[in-house]
Amino acid sequence: MKSYLTVIISFIFLAVGLAYGEQTSPTVMPQNLSSPQQVLPASNADQIPVKPADKPAGAVADEYKDDDYANDTFKEERVEIADPLQPFNRAMHQFNDKLYFWALKPAAQGYKAVVPEPVRISAKNFFDNLGFPARFLSCLLQADFGGAATEAGRFSINTIWGIGGLLDPSSGKELNLQEQDTDLGQTLGVWGIGQGFYIVWPILGPSSPRDSMTIAGDYFLYPVSYISPWYTWLGVRTYKEVNATSLRIGDYEALKDAAIDPYVAFRDAYAQYRFKKVKARKAKLHPAVPQEAKSPAVNPALPEKGN
Amino acid sequence: MRRKFLTINIPVIALMALFMLTINPQAFAAGLFGPPQTVSRQDGGLNTAIGYRYHEDTYKNGADHTFRQNEIYSQAAYGAKNIWEVYARLGIADMKIFDVFSSADASTVTDKKDFEENWKFFGTMGAKAFYPVNSMFGVGAFVQGTYYFSDFTDDVTGVSGGNPFIAELKVKNLWDVGGGVGFQVTLPRGIKLYAGPYIYYSEAKVSLSSDMSGLENWAGDFSIKNKSIVGGFAGLDIPLAKGFRLNIEGQFSDRFSAGAAISYTY
Repeated sequence: MKSYLTVIISFIFLAVGLAYGEQTSPTVMPQNLSSPQQVLPASNADQIPVKPADKPAGAVADEYKDDDYANDTFKEERVEIADPLQPFNRAMHQFNDKLYFWALKPAAQGYKAVVPEPVRISAKNFFDNLGFPARFLSCLLQADFGGAATEAGRFSINTIWGIGGLLDPSSGKELNLQEQDTDLGQTLGVWGIGQGFYIVWPILGPSSPRDSMTIAGDYFLYPVSYISPWYTWLGVRTYKEVNATSLRIGDYEALKDAAIDPYVAFRDAYAQYRFKKVKARKAKLHPAVPQEAKSPAVNPALPEKGN
Repeated sequence: MRRKFLTINIPVIALMALFMLTINPQAFAAGLFGPPQTVSRQDGGLNTAIGYRYHEDTYKNGADHTFRQNEIYSQAAYGAKNIWEVYARLGIADMKIFDVFSSADASTVTDKKDFEENWKFFGTMGAKAFYPVNSMFGVGAFVQGTYYFSDFTDDVTGVSGGNPFIAELKVKNLWDVGGGVGFQVTLPRGIKLYAGPYIYYSEAKVSLSSDMSGLENWAGDFSIKNKSIVGGFAGLDIPLAKGFRLNIEGQFSDRFSAGAAISYTY
């Protein structure tokens, strides 16, 4: 019964996602914009990379003003996402914000104070390594066989020579097998399914019907989900979040403080960020797409590769 | 230059020797020994490995019995200065003891001859120190020990004096400790060839759940020990690509053992 319900809800979400595609309109980024506005959700902050605005207004534009491609590079597609649930979303945003400041951050700070950074990084590596099935499947579903092979190689090497994934020899200079930055939501995006509307899930943070498939898919493909009893699973998941948060304390606060209306900033950043991710994946699979659209990493105005 | 080397490294070697002598032999012992010189980076670093060893030995308790094990393990090691390394392994091993259930009495008939048990966990700890005589040749010493966390058990059924029976044989607290000296020659392309003598001691408690005529060798609780404690080993450590190395090694005491490991240097 539970699984039927899940399938029905998934279908409805997908249908809604197809109905609401991203609204994009080519615009030119204002010359005095210091850096793209990025914000982090309270509990799902690892989905959005952090790049502190450490340059004065106009610095990015100045830096690239002599480049021939500067004007092309700064052409941004403004991504808009429908927000029919705004009252609910604002409430959830507030809830997640409080959850971060009242529970997650203090726990992460205490944890950070007693656990050395190498240990916390090892724990993060371990949990990242467990995310292999979802990344591998996403690559396969996108027909990105090179990415799937890279993921399989990473998982094998990190599990065998990385002491069960605690270490990450694959990312080293010599092996250079980088984690594939993909998920099931991006896979659906590559298949042409639109974002749908904006929704903020309690605890899980910003999402959309399409990207909620990532949450559902990751649940089934993440080995930790199969830990029983449920309170052990909950403990492990909580530890994972506390550990991950301990490695990025301050980022969320900085980005929140920089926004006039954090909710709107988070929403726009989320839509933009996910749009770029899908676009980058499409560009990887179809290299004929113009260079500037291939990856955020090649565009100085766009976010670096996500975590 | 040599004096400076000795001044700096002798304390490290002395500490390593102290560590080797003070570790509790009840809890430690053997596996692949590896090259005497660490493969970790000179300024200190980790290396990890996955390995396999086929191990045969003869144990005695009145009569001699051949033990055979397949060991698979994962190893993490830390070494520095090209002279010292400590390492730990976690692995699984099976066990077969040949002819343990063969009855010496015609009135006792058993359904099988050999003791067999599947994978059990073991842990190994070890340390090694190395003294480079020159750029090609060096001498090292090592000690390592293994302890099996679980008992190996197997049942035997049969008929004794016309009465059917079932008995369980347990091999408990198996541990071993080994140490030796290795001479290493570094060949072109970073290939390390090494060989040397070693001593090795292994012991386990054994008990058969019921005394059977014809199986007196295993009656009651007693200890078994390896027959020969002296042996020799030789091996090759070959750089592969991208930080990986292949280590192949053979050991001979009363019987021949061999294994291979692939390590990765961080």
